[in-house]
Amino acid sequence: MFTELNSILSSSPDSVTPGEFILVSDRQSDASFLIHHFLSFYLRSRCKVIFLGLVQSFRHYSAVSQRLGVSLTQAKEKGQLVFMEGLKESLSVLIPQADNTESQAMNFLRDPPVGLRSLYEFVRSCAVGSGRAEDGAEEWGPPVLLVDDVSVLLSLGVDAGAVLDFSHYCRAAVCSQMKGNMVMLVRCNGEEEEEEDGEEGAEALLKGLTHQCSLNLHVQGLPTGYCKDIHGQVEVCWKRRQGDGPHTQRNLFQYKVHDKGASFFPRGTSSAVL
Amino acid sequence: MLSELLQGIETGGLLIIQDSCSYSGRDLLRSFIAAALNREEEVHVLCFDVSEDELTDGLKPPYTQRLHVHNAYPDPLGWTDHPAFAVQQFRVEDLTDLVKQASQPKPATLVIDSLSWVLRHAAPPAVCRTLQQLRKGGAVRAVVALLHADMHQRGTVGSVCHLASSLIAVAPGPKGNEAVAKITKRSKSGKVAQDEETFCITEDLTVAVLSRLPEARPNGSEEEQADPTANLTFNLRLSESELEAKQKLTLPFVFSKEKKTALLHPGPGSGRILYEPDANDDYDQEDPDDDLDV
Repeated sequence: MFTELNSILSSSPDSVTPGEFILVSDRQSDASFLIHHFLSFYLRSRCKVIFLGLVQSFRHYSAVSQRLGVSLTQAKEKGQLVFMEGLKESLSVLIPQADNTESQAMNFLRDPPVGLRSLYEFVRSCAVGSGRAEDGAEEWGPPVLLVDDVSVLLSLGVDAGAVLDFSHYCRAAVCSQMKGNMVMLVRCNGEEEEEEDGEEGAEALLKGLTHQCSLNLHVQGLPTGYCKDIHGQVEVCWKRRQGDGPHTQRNLFQYKVHDKGASFFPRGTSSAVL
Repeated sequence: MLSELLQGIETGGLLIIQDSCSYSGRDLLRSFIAAALNREEEVHVLCFDVSEDELTDGLKPPYTQRLHVHNAYPDPLGWTDHPAFAVQQFRVEDLTDLVKQASQPKPATLVIDSLSWVLRHAAPPAVCRTLQQLRKGGAVRAVVALLHADMHQRGTVGSVCHLASSLIAVAPGPKGNEAVAKITKRSKSGKVAQDEETFCITEDLTVAVLSRLPEARPNGSEEEQADPTANLTFNLRLSESELEAKQKLTLPFVFSKEKKTALLHPGPGSGRILYEPDANDDYDQEDPDDDLDV
């Protein structure tokens, strides 16, 4: 959990704004450090976290979270964290074995045009399951869905439209119905093209998700090039803010990722410069 | 022109609000809903993009009796067993039944939030056909739709917007809560009017038009001439005081007309030359060489 980011977003583990869809996007950069932030943030706020880790193994997230002061293994044992390890689950679909039941959530790998309905059903069943407290189990807060990352589904053959439908349904179920939150990471590799004419592809997915989200954290490299002390810039864009009136608000910060966290500062105020 | 549109859309009209990632047109759409409710019209809303609460936030209770929301947000594709409204139902017959079910004699205004959802799941020609038939049929008086222009191909957006009788493209404005609207209005006679206005939307969903931007700025009549005093290593320019001194300076051999006449026709009091020849001078005007001792 990065304390500076909490103050920028005006959020704290004790008071979590419900019903938010936070979109973390990056362009030719790596915004996965923000996913680690949100993972530790929501675990600390005692929410039930459903993590779809499609690109890294559980051990990777566990190691990073250890440095941020949160133990994923413990959270999983206590039932607070439901971790779907995409890499392992996909093996059960790609290399079916007699004794191993096929994971239903990843069955889009078998037939991509079918879409992500089963993945949504999986998410919904995990989120609904948090409502019922079993004997001796702890009560957790509203469900939070984290997806790292959504763009990898495009490279697995899923249509951008199907991914947008999936995020819409998850938002309807998790954010609106159960008053939980949702964080998704989407990545773009190319330059921003003005004349993008296609409906498929990462650009269309990014635009569609930006329309759906309520808060967008867009990570990019510095426009002036590589710098050792400043790793990039984050543009924080609030789309809907209750009580502030109907207008969007944008703020630009620069960041540096450390061993045990990341620091955020307004442009030009890096400690290396001042 | 924005205020005129807010006061009413003509029967059979299709108004499309085009927005993008940088500015959401949903607040303007809600202003149109509020304006229609204030005019005591029946309003049917197809709610795909956002939840019903979010869309109707700010609409005052006494008017909401005339507001019928068909909530397609939780299940637009029919993945559960009982969808309230699914995108497959976006057809003339189903929509006409839906509107007539409200059992009000007046034809209603249909609001679609957003048309992008429908365009992602239905073929654009079918959507255009449905919109056109809705306008011509009797059940719906006018249609107002929100379209996310950057989510579709330009051809799709162009085809759908071509059907519209009024088109408002919104973009973020110069200041924080202001926005710029480019309005195109096609009247039945075929005349097209365009305008560009800056507006902002207040808390109670009224639109305040701030200024009308001039349509075309007059082209620079001042042609830029090459400035010879630019890009030099020395200074050829004059300061203000230097310029004044230069204007005042009279040149030595540039005479004004008065000075010329004064010199050519000497008046009284000017100098005269008086010559008194002495003995050595041989003043003979005819022979100038007389004094030569040759």
